[in-house]
Amino acid sequence: MNRAAIDIALAAAVLVMAAALFTGAATLPPPRFEPLGSAAAQRILGGLLIVFAGIVGGRALLALWQARKHQPDTPAPTTDGSDDGKPIRTLVVLGTLLSYVGALDVLAWPFVPVTTAFVVVLGATLASPRPRTLAVFAGYGALLAFALHTVFTRFLYVDL
Amino acid sequence: MLDAFQLLLQLDTLLLLLLGTALGIVVGAIPGLTASMLIALTLPLTFHMDSVNAVTLLIGEYVGGISGGLITAILLRMPGTPASIVTTFDGYPLARNGNPERALALGILASVVGGVISWGFLAGMSPALARFALQFGPWEYFALVMMALVMLASLTQGSLVKGLLAATLGMAFALPGIDSSIGQQRLTFGFDALLSGFGLLPVLIGAFAISQILREAAAPIHATRPPAIARARLPVHWSDARRHGPNMIRSSIIGTWIGLLPGIGANIAALVSYTTTRQLSKEPEKFGTGHEPGVVAGETANNASIGGALIPLITMGIPGSVTEAILIGALTIHNLQPGPLLFQNAPEVAYGIIAAYLVANLIMLILMWSAVRHIAAITQLPRSGLLATILVFCVIGSYAVNNSFVDVWVMIAFGAIGLMLELARVPLGPFVIGFVLSPIAEEQLRASLMMADGNVAEILGRPYALVFLALALLTLAWPVIASRMARRRHAVSSAP
Repeated sequence: MNRAAIDIALAAAVLVMAAALFTGAATLPPPRFEPLGSAAAQRILGGLLIVFAGIVGGRALLALWQARKHQPDTPAPTTDGSDDGKPIRTLVVLGTLLSYVGALDVLAWPFVPVTTAFVVVLGATLASPRPRTLAVFAGYGALLAFALHTVFTRFLYVDL
Repeated sequence: MLDAFQLLLQLDTLLLLLLGTALGIVVGAIPGLTASMLIALTLPLTFHMDSVNAVTLLIGEYVGGISGGLITAILLRMPGTPASIVTTFDGYPLARNGNPERALALGILASVVGGVISWGFLAGMSPALARFALQFGPWEYFALVMMALVMLASLTQGSLVKGLLAATLGMAFALPGIDSSIGQQRLTFGFDALLSGFGLLPVLIGAFAISQILREAAAPIHATRPPAIARARLPVHWSDARRHGPNMIRSSIIGTWIGLLPGIGANIAALVSYTTTRQLSKEPEKFGTGHEPGVVAGETANNASIGGALIPLITMGIPGSVTEAILIGALTIHNLQPGPLLFQNAPEVAYGIIAAYLVANLIMLILMWSAVRHIAAITQLPRSGLLATILVFCVIGSYAVNNSFVDVWVMIAFGAIGLMLELARVPLGPFVIGFVLSPIAEEQLRASLMMADGNVAEILGRPYALVFLALALLTLAWPVIASRMARRRHAVSSAP
């Protein structure tokens, strides 16, 4: 994505955050027992966020406008030139992590098999989906899950 | 202090220090993994330890984590940690010229000397500085926190505005929960899970470990073989003390003083020391080609900066970097408030940190000297297995805090936020430190205003607070002043 577009998205997200701070502050009572009150920090930080978002967003808009002015016929570059590797793998890992925690929390599936499966999927994503690699990751995942389960439940009293 | 050393020499404490240092060296040697990530991941395991053991383990990890980075920096030109970037300049060429053992030996020795000299400053200055800090009231603390935050946000590499934005965002994320002053719910939006706010540990693990793993997942995986370490013995000679001694002392002092300042960090300490050594050298042209003083300067300063950074941490409770912010979290988890009162309320912890720092450096010397060849082999472990293991640890570590999956979801959310912020080139350091320091800043400001009956002008009668605020303003204004000075210099030099 274009750097200016990322900065505009950042500024928009920060403005949403500032709005949430002001909304939250509006529900709080005025100061009673001390001069500052509960809402002051939210208002101060919200105000600062708006200022910074304005600067970041304003600069990005200016950069976009100048780029269009100087190169009206050429399309804007779609990347900033940095090597991003394979961003799809990031998304797969994030999705796998969400599914793993969902399986443990929402579905309440047992820790050892779910963790083994999680390690296998990550191995397939980050290393290779070949059967031999998957078998190695399955063995490693089972060992890791069993060891962690034993240590945390028996010695540290954490209910996995 | 002697009592602290005696406490440290108990078998369990010493073993934990050994374990922490060894883990730190291994993690530091693996590019992509950092000491702060290791400390954040180990934090949940310290709940069941007593405070001295917990802090000892973490200090060992910190020292090992910074030192371990030199192995891959020298052998692969891939700095294990950002602190070792400078070591690649001369360490790698020295290794490629057929002298990997010499480069490693100098790097390890320089790291230890830097650590020991900065320990001298830490042990000598901390108690006196803590006594001085006892004169501080809420105004001074508020101003000090503001100064630390502004310096950190401004001095972080990249845009000043984005650094300040990161610090403000971090502060905002610390607001939800019950307002401790009046017991009022704020920013919970009806979610009971937010009543206790976002936990420090899930935020730290998410922002650092998860976001880093997600980034690493996208990176291409290269397998690079390090040059073979042929000789079992690392070559150093007594004459090295004469050749490199002054450089080590100078670099230690530079590293310690840069470490003292919030937000600058070990990598800048190493760079400043390297540049200074090069400027003072009679053979500056040799730097970058495998020149030994280059390795010595960088490695001495990056280790010395740890001792420097620990001084404001234990005397005033001000973190100089993310790793120190996590250490503050570790102390808080053990019901300890870092700051001047730490020397009175828990002297065994305050002096324990100081003693552990010295012993960790000595353990690091023994471990790295004897096992550098094996540690270099560990760096060849498949990264996919490593990332999968760390992710499982992240989930369990966050869950173990309260036996609750809410913390795990918070961790994932902050991992995603961290990734987005990095994508937008917003630095994570000020974000996390803003999160840690926000409650302190708010509490101190509210206490100050209560004492002053709402009169903000009261701060004008507080010289230390005014100095801190003036330094913060100067830090903010410095880019403008520097650019004007540069423009004027340019105008003068280009004038006919």
